[in-house]
Amino acid sequence: MNNLSEKNNNQKILVVDDEHMSDLMRSVLRRLEIDGFKTIVVKPKGTMGTGDEYEIQTLFALEEYHPDAILLDVRFGEYDTDRFKGLSILKKIVDRNNKIPVLMFTQYAQGPYRDTAVTATLSVDANVDFIDKLASPEEVVLRLRRLIGSAPEKVMIGDLFEIDSDNSAVYAIVDGKKEIVKDVQGMKLEILKELAAALYRSEGELVPFSKLERFSFGEDSRASLRVRIRELKISLGKSIGREFSANELIINVRNRGYRLIHPE
Amino acid sequence: MKIDILALIKKSIIIFLIIGVIMIISSPIIGDDLSPNSLWWIEPIAYLGGSIFIVSCILLYIINYFYDKKIEDNKNIKSWSRVTQDYFDTFAHDMGRPLRRILGKEREVRAVIKETESKVPRMVTELIDEIEQQSPNFRLMIENVRVLVDLENPNAKPSSEPVEPASVIRNITDRYFYVGKEKGVDLVWWADPSDFGIVFGDASALDHIVTNIVDNATKFANKQIEISLIKDENYYYVKVWDDGQGIEKSHLPHIFNRGWTPELAARSEKQSSGIGLFIADSLTTFCGGTLDVNSNFSKTNEDKGTTFILRLPLDNRSK
Repeated sequence: MNNLSEKNNNQKILVVDDEHMSDLMRSVLRRLEIDGFKTIVVKPKGTMGTGDEYEIQTLFALEEYHPDAILLDVRFGEYDTDRFKGLSILKKIVDRNNKIPVLMFTQYAQGPYRDTAVTATLSVDANVDFIDKLASPEEVVLRLRRLIGSAPEKVMIGDLFEIDSDNSAVYAIVDGKKEIVKDVQGMKLEILKELAAALYRSEGELVPFSKLERFSFGEDSRASLRVRIRELKISLGKSIGREFSANELIINVRNRGYRLIHPE
Repeated sequence: MKIDILALIKKSIIIFLIIGVIMIISSPIIGDDLSPNSLWWIEPIAYLGGSIFIVSCILLYIINYFYDKKIEDNKNIKSWSRVTQDYFDTFAHDMGRPLRRILGKEREVRAVIKETESKVPRMVTELIDEIEQQSPNFRLMIENVRVLVDLENPNAKPSSEPVEPASVIRNITDRYFYVGKEKGVDLVWWADPSDFGIVFGDASALDHIVTNIVDNATKFANKQIEISLIKDENYYYVKVWDDGQGIEKSHLPHIFNRGWTPELAARSEKQSSGIGLFIADSLTTFCGGTLDVNSNFSKTNEDKGTTFILRLPLDNRSK
């Protein structure tokens, strides 16, 4: 997760939760900021902090800040009427803008049809997902990033490499300076981009051979792929003056596929 | 498909009732006079039609009584389900409150330690790691209790909705990746084909079954857990492999039993409730699938490990 994307282009996240001052939410806000997101916390103007006050402020904030995504709680306060206020706020948000990604905190046992029931009340293409409030901050950020969907133009691999999709280039970072890795071009770059995309989506995701073999030719495409991966590791290693072992950077998992991992 | 016998009987009686009326109305046309000059000059077919009509009316009254009672019972079952859900909402919310506070504090402490790079006693780091690692357990525990109650509902049936299994697996991996990392366990997953697409099934059940299997693997894995998603013509499979020491042959027949844990066999303190795999298995059967386990038990052998294989239909709409 660390240094995965370059500042996430300062994407704005609107946080709507009456417990935003709690330690649990503070740890989520901190994680978001570390990962380069800008957080905007909705605070009600009234003194009661009712769900209605949060709803009004959320709709104002939506118009004012045009956030890239929203983190929304289901339950507001202890009033019985506000027990599912978040769902009514969600509906109003989606009615205004059904493209905006909303990650909804739930703190209940999921219930067999709850998510389905909620999403059924929304428009078909509403971009809504649900996450347990006890989820780790890393999990929240990961889910939010996937919900926003757009892979950043620049992906960092550890502190050592930067993949610039726009310019189709890979940079090595040596002593804080970026230097282009000239050897990584064409198919090798495509393989690296595929692996980096999987890493961006989910740290544990492996790219199966079937997906990578289109970047290799010859009768034995698996062997050809193996050669390209080896060359790729050598090129990347050479650019920073080190040699990556079989268990570093790009690893072969039990002959199923390859996986990119952050270098130490 | 379940046949509603009461509704079928009710329909048959209504048909007889209509036949009776038709017989009465049509008797002057199709029947012969029995005794045209007496009081009872009506055609015999009218007598027959009248009898059918009266008997049908009596039967209809009786069957309606049972039918209404059944509908009322069904309504009660539905409201029982709603009440159960409400109960769990409150239960999870209230039980979660102290845990949210504990977890919040633990995460604050963790952040401060990281930011200040302070050296803390090993006991302290072990404590905060333990709190974090128990968090998915708690989430799963509440879900497990709800599913146990739901499975008791005789009218429950799996939902049939479009599901993206790869997305479900990815979310589960996210949940356990960092927990595993802290224990030194690497969690890897893949879907083959990587554009796995959509199946029709019960998303909530799939999530719950795989979560229980992965949670179990996290407890026993040594360094590695692999989750793979594959499919054939009619089914899709989720395989969860861990490199733990495996399950002893004598334990294999019991692992899906309710309340059974390896500690039970060793007569030591139970580390878990022993309902996770029981629920995974019951829920799999409920969804029309199978859950199998292969295990190589060894304390030294490199081939050791356990694989759970979940098989579910690609499309459950026809079932």
